Amino acid sequence: MGYKVCFDEVNQIFDELRKEYEIWAPKRFPGKGRYSDTDLIRYDKVKTVEEIVFDEKSDFPAKEVLSPITEPLFYFTEDEWKESKATSKKLLIFMRPCDIAAQQRQEKIYLGNGGFSDIYYERMHEKVKIVMMQCDLNDDTCFCVSMGTNKTDNYSLAVVAEDGALKVEVKDDAFAPYFEGKNAEDYVPSFPTENITKLTIPEIPNKEVLTKLKEHPMWQEYNKRCISCGSCTVACSTCTCFTTTDIAYNENGSVGERKRTTASCQIEGFTDMAGGHSFRNTPGDRMRYKVLHKFHDYKERFKDYHMCVGCGRCISRCPEFISITATVNKMSKAIEEIVAAENK
Amino acid sequence: MLQLRVPGALIDAKHLALVQELCQKYGNGTFHMGMRQTLNIPGIKYENIPAVNAKIKEYIQDVSVEMCDCDMEADDLGYPTIGARNVMACIGNSHCIKANANTHEMAKKIEKLIFPSHYHIKVSVAGCPNDCAKGNFNDFGVMGIYKMDYDQDRCVGCGACAKACDHHATGVLSLNAHGKIDKDSCCCVGCGECVIACPTGAWTRGDTHLWRVTLGGRTGKQFPRMGKLFMNFVTEEVVLGMFANWQKFSAWVMDYKPEYLHGGHLIDRAGYVKFKEMILDGVELNPEAKVAEELYWTEAEQRANIHVKPISKHHKAGPQA
Ligand code: SF4
Ligand code: SF4
Ligand code: SF4
Ligand code: SF4
Ligand code: SF4
Repeated sequence: MGYKVCFDEVNQIFDELRKEYEIWAPKRFPGKGRYSDTDLIRYDKVKTVEEIVFDEKSDFPAKEVLSPITEPLFYFTEDEWKESKATSKKLLIFMRPCDIAAQQRQEKIYLGNGGFSDIYYERMHEKVKIVMMQCDLNDDTCFCVSMGTNKTDNYSLAVVAEDGALKVEVKDDAFAPYFEGKNAEDYVPSFPTENITKLTIPEIPNKEVLTKLKEHPMWQEYNKRCISCGSCTVACSTCTCFTTTDIAYNENGSVGERKRTTASCQIEGFTDMAGGHSFRNTPGDRMRYKVLHKFHDYKERFKDYHMCVGCGRCISRCPEFISITATVNKMSKAIEEIVAAENK
Repeated sequence: MLQLRVPGALIDAKHLALVQELCQKYGNGTFHMGMRQTLNIPGIKYENIPAVNAKIKEYIQDVSVEMCDCDMEADDLGYPTIGARNVMACIGNSHCIKANANTHEMAKKIEKLIFPSHYHIKVSVAGCPNDCAKGNFNDFGVMGIYKMDYDQDRCVGCGACAKACDHHATGVLSLNAHGKIDKDSCCCVGCGECVIACPTGAWTRGDTHLWRVTLGGRTGKQFPRMGKLFMNFVTEEVVLGMFANWQKFSAWVMDYKPEYLHGGHLIDRAGYVKFKEMILDGVELNPEAKVAEELYWTEAEQRANIHVKPISKHHKAGPQA
């Protein structure tokens, strides 16, 4: 069923919904951007539809709702532990198609990867209902069409904002009662069909080529350019790495809390092991690891699709203007070189 | 030499055509980049002054009257006064990523308060305490700063902010055993390097634009010196309220008989404490504001014993017998 509901009425629906749901959406934080007098857009709980930013991509992805940057896991005393509390409400999250696809990619890692489900992710995941925000952005960093993440039917509601009203497709019957008696109007969401940025992802034909690619000089460029800040992975819709830390409440550490915090493979020290051994010592090594993970290793393991959803956030957040698409293009060229040399 | 004022150092590029015409038609064909960011036209012949003054009416109208809203009318006689010097500014956040403020907007507001006037004053506005605008060598240096907010839930403990603060600023940040940041708030200069470095947006600038004001800097043959920190974390209202008192203060120091004297000397004559009292008269300080209780100048004397002279030659401030 389709509806066209003015913002005032949407807010009344929000009031009803909020009895059962937390409503999360991209929200503007004026003046809180990296540079002065610029804004930050990130996910937060909203009460009104006016708070939601429809016409700009959020700086940080929707994944922050399900896996916050810092999350308490459990509290311990000498021989007991107690799981931290998750929200008691369900979660209604406004997401663009790329963020929806990203959630699917994250599920593979959090739920059932190696026969293990992450209970902290699972308990949030169970609560999620998706509102798909029709995406008409076509920002010059987007390449969802190339990644096949531009279309989705994984949502309960689809919406588009148009002159002070929301057009809504109600796909999930659970939401039908909220729209009873509202102004019916046909609405079928559209999806991005072409991006300004297009990317062809190279095939790596065999292990030998992969090994040579890892040793290719192309990665060394990033030793000069990348400052290993981790902005790209924190902003990435699909990155899932975290570290756990214990915080002791008393002197001998027998009472305390375990929390987990987002981590980044781009930051120096990420692979440090006890004893001081580290695998990836240079920014170039770390870049190679990230790019291959997004555009090779993940698909190799889980089949179906690559990890990257083409949201372009890593490009817009990189303070050194390093572009993932330019990097993948360089990788394609390197692979061609390697294959050509092998066939000689 | 004609000097066209460029308050805040940013104007419509269309004016460059006029500058070229003036240089080639009335000047000696060269152009000088003014040390205080004025557009300088050297070599104008005495007999051409009236014609040039008539020509720059439109420029004065556009820049001083309209852009800066100065209390004056543009006529055929050129600039009415030369007392207050051009308000300089670095590029600020219209381009520089380190900036905490739009320096041009601030400079224009200051220009409106100090020009036209016969009282000399040199002001420069910088977007951050890096002070590319050299406010430290002006009577007043005005630098954009913020109080920073830290959201520990967004912090991933990467330590980039601490490194940046250490490298570029004051080293007041450190990573604690819980993987979060501790701050020694004694000496933060409010520069924002931590915000720029933070990958997660855990550090953000506060809600209010704030300013740092340095005082008493100058160059000169006799006693050049660097300015000292006069006010820290003050709002725009405080800065503008202070500049609004400048003419009153100058008039009092010279016993209401305007004479051509550099602004810095007026502050010296009155002494810092008297200056502070008069310049902040009626100015309501914001809660975060800090003001120097005393300032002790150490002169870099270019000439020995410059301050040592017969009492009769000492300058006096205020009502004179
Ligand atoms: S790698 Fe970049 S484009 Fe791909 S999902 Fe992550 S942030 Fe988006
Ligand atoms: S955001 Fe850019 S500079 Fe920072 S780690 Fe990623 S690629 Fe390197
Ligand atoms: S003073 Fe600061 S804002 Fe201005 S140009 Fe220098 S670094 Fe940039
Ligand atoms: S504002 Fe500047 S001085 Fe203050 S903590 Fe941040 S980097 Fe350090
Ligand atoms: S830079 Fe940001 S995320 Fe990293 S330690 Fe500092 S506040 Fe935390």
